[in-house]
Amino acid sequence: MAEPLLEVSDLSVAYLTEAADVRAVDQVSFTVDRGEFLGIVGESGCGKSTLLFGVGQLLSPPGEVVGGSVIFRGSDMVRLTGDELRNMRWRDYSVVMQSAMNALNPMKSIGAQFKDTLQAHGSMSSAEIRERSAEVLKLVGIDPTHLASYPHQLSGGMRQRAMIAMALLLTPQLVMMDEPTSALDVVAQRSLMSKIKELQQRLGFAVLFVTHDMSVVSRYSDRVLVMYAGQIAEAAATEEIFEHPLHPYTRGLMSAFPSLRGPRRELLGIPGSPPDLARPPAGCRFHPRCPEVMPVCLSHEPELYPVGGAEVRCLLYAEQAKEAV
Amino acid sequence: MAEPGESQENMPTADEPLLRTVDLTRHFRLGGMFSKHVLHAVDDFNIAIHEREIVALVGESGSGKSTVAWLLARVYPPTRGEIYYRGRQLRKLRSRKDLLAYRGEVAMVFQDPFSAFNPVFRVSHGVMRNLVLHRPELGREERRREAERVFDSVGLSPKMLTRFPYEMSGGERQRVGFAQALAVRPKLILADEPVSMLDVSIRAGVLNMMAGLRDQEGVSILYITHDIASARYVADRVIVLYGGHLVEAGPTETVLRDPKHPYTQLLLSAVADPREKVESISADTGEPPKVINPTEGCRFRWRCPYAIEKCSQVTPRPSPIGSVQVACHVAVAEAEDVSTRTGTASVTK
Amino acid sequence: MATDAASNTAITEPAAVTDAEVRAEPRRFTRAVLHNRKAMVGAVILLIMVFVAVFPGLIAPYDPQATVGPPNASPSSAHLLGTTQLGQDVLSQLIWGTRLTLWVTVVVSVIATFISMIIGVTAAYIGGLTDRVLTVITDVFLILPVLPLLILLSAYLTPGVSSLIIVLTITSWAFQARQLRSQGLSVRNRDFLVAARVRGERPLYIILVEIVPTMTSLLAASFLALAVFEVGFAASLQFLGLGNSGELMWGTMLYNAQQAAALESGNPWWALAPGLAVAVMGAGFALVNYAFDEIGNPALRPVRRGKRRGRASA
Repeated sequence: MAEPLLEVSDLSVAYLTEAADVRAVDQVSFTVDRGEFLGIVGESGCGKSTLLFGVGQLLSPPGEVVGGSVIFRGSDMVRLTGDELRNMRWRDYSVVMQSAMNALNPMKSIGAQFKDTLQAHGSMSSAEIRERSAEVLKLVGIDPTHLASYPHQLSGGMRQRAMIAMALLLTPQLVMMDEPTSALDVVAQRSLMSKIKELQQRLGFAVLFVTHDMSVVSRYSDRVLVMYAGQIAEAAATEEIFEHPLHPYTRGLMSAFPSLRGPRRELLGIPGSPPDLARPPAGCRFHPRCPEVMPVCLSHEPELYPVGGAEVRCLLYAEQAKEAV
Repeated sequence: MAEPGESQENMPTADEPLLRTVDLTRHFRLGGMFSKHVLHAVDDFNIAIHEREIVALVGESGSGKSTVAWLLARVYPPTRGEIYYRGRQLRKLRSRKDLLAYRGEVAMVFQDPFSAFNPVFRVSHGVMRNLVLHRPELGREERRREAERVFDSVGLSPKMLTRFPYEMSGGERQRVGFAQALAVRPKLILADEPVSMLDVSIRAGVLNMMAGLRDQEGVSILYITHDIASARYVADRVIVLYGGHLVEAGPTETVLRDPKHPYTQLLLSAVADPREKVESISADTGEPPKVINPTEGCRFRWRCPYAIEKCSQVTPRPSPIGSVQVACHVAVAEAEDVSTRTGTASVTK
Repeated sequence: MATDAASNTAITEPAAVTDAEVRAEPRRFTRAVLHNRKAMVGAVILLIMVFVAVFPGLIAPYDPQATVGPPNASPSSAHLLGTTQLGQDVLSQLIWGTRLTLWVTVVVSVIATFISMIIGVTAAYIGGLTDRVLTVITDVFLILPVLPLLILLSAYLTPGVSSLIIVLTITSWAFQARQLRSQGLSVRNRDFLVAARVRGERPLYIILVEIVPTMTSLLAASFLALAVFEVGFAASLQFLGLGNSGELMWGTMLYNAQQAAALESGNPWWALAPGLAVAVMGAGFALVNYAFDEIGNPALRPVRRGKRRGRASA
């Protein structure tokens, strides 16, 4: 079997503030194969964005990686120097942020920003730069004349596409995206997602896609990680997770979506709210809200148990995992 | 039941809606007093809301849905058109007493649970002010009891009255928003995207609470949202807005099962259900409508796969097709043309 | 104004932290001061000044107006800062002058901040024509040439502390009005203000009860920034002779010292000491202001250096 492109092992990220140490990501492990589309899903406060930043070495104080490793193309990114990281960024992996307006420089034209990125990573002639810039814009479905446009002159959907184009300038093998469609309307969202999937299949890069909206990844991802309170609650192939959700949290999430078609049933949602990560509950972090809680859940922290092709962090499956061994 | 957009004269008094608008219009001048750029946020909008019903106003950004709410809440006056509340023209309400009375019957809930509260005060502040302003007959003790009652009816413990906004979660804050609105004993609550900023697992609770308010407290709700699936869940009727125009309106199940307007169809196809497998490809990239100095004609025509010449010349007005109002030349023509339909690409299914 | 309803991101906790900051400001401010060295130094300076202003009699060795030594004497053990032309103890004058100096500074800063707040926030909230008129008025006061105005006013006003306060207030209230108006504009469309309008509150109520309390840290920072300026400005005006040399303040000391050519032929400390004192008080206010920068911008807060594992220098 080919070596995975990205291997994250026991990664922990904490925010070290004078008030408290908050462990936003707690010993998370997963791999991403070449060309794989991995969705990381969770609600607010679950640590998914922090995880992404941790993997991409984009954290700024008071956030810090406090444990684990991120092996990408043979090197542990946690241990690389700033210069080494800068070389890798955009060339081997790139990042698309939630809001293009935060990442794009409002004072420079799109073309100028593409040029900056290309020039920072090697020598291309002006003609080559222009050609490549036009090429990536066409890839995402934007007319190349917009190279001269400024970010505010483009609509929200187009800006996000421009961001994705920028991320593909150097054809990286891994593109990390943090909620790139959240600020868009439904139709633009759908359009952008199909475009991303199309590009992924065409160019063969792997995608790490963080979102709070499960439906967005349901059609496009190969595998899904569901995060809760800084930990992975469930990890499985997309189809598996949507058809047979194992973790009570995942099941709760599934039942919280009002459906457009089919009969109207009562929406249940999940009562309560996510825990304060400065003082997580004892035992299983989900137990205060779990409809299937057992007495042992209050004192024992579940590990990730393998069940079929999936992994679940739930004591309901502890026995099954033991038996399978 | 009177349908939205029905003629303004000859309103049957027996079935007088709680609130109705006639050609409600709101324009904004962009860029200074002498600019020529006018943003048409809402144009010729007709709606009727009855007692004990939840009406969903569905649209994306640039549709004008929030503008409608702010017009109904009298945050600013309409550029044209009228709003009738219980048969009385709002424009005629001048005195502070009259205005206050209106505000005591029509309350608003805001979208962002984080900016809807003044961080300096406890969450009881809004409730108390509402009681002081709109129910002056209550004494101090009675006010306290009313505050507890409204908190209870939204599923919050009365102990939370002394909390500060930052001590509460987004879902709890939204409930406080509804409690504040309930404190005045409104007949109508204008809910501007009340669940959009909440986690999915929390939304269900708030949506269920809204349905409960209609059933138990008899309050009508104008539920403004971009999420058509949640509209299906709580609303009795759905109104779809595009580019400041009403494009389709009718009973929820009818509109969602058999959408007649191309935009409604596009919207429905774009909404993904995690359990759905069917992929419908559309070339539409979701570009926002042109509402600055718009020309005559349908504002959806540039994106519409069925547009005909008439669409760029005459602005379609909502016309009835069965129990639904649709503003689309092609859809209306087809509905009228049943006998001569030849089986070519049709808008209606 | 229509709200932009496109964003449907579920909000994460950082927004709540901002609200918590606004609410818990006094406590957080104290903590910020305690943890910030610069602010601590400033606070100590100011506290000492306040103490000296309140209890001058406890510290000053002599009666500031009395002749207690030889004229223009250099510093000695009896007179730590020497004496004036009339043989008065400079140190005692400095100590007794603290009270009026501090008083004028604080009063002017408070009144000017208050005026600029009212004008700035009203302009921002009411908007339209009112905003334009108030902004023009603010701009006019901003560009008023101070010195000619003072000379003009001094012809009509009797020199003294009251006139000083009036003149200083008139010429400095406009500085912060712009900033407070900007702040007012930024909160103007926050939902809780629209909510207040929708429930039927009157504009005056909204300005005083809903808006101003959210701006306490900005107002305090404005006050401090103004104070830094006023200390120096008041002293300068008095130095130019526009004060009443009979009232004991650091500025009038400077004036008297200059009149007596203390730097050239007398006791130079008579001129240097009040000048230094003005600088120190100004520094005190400025240093405390650092604590506000910290509250406003979390990135400036001290980060606890925790256990770092496996992190190369990056």
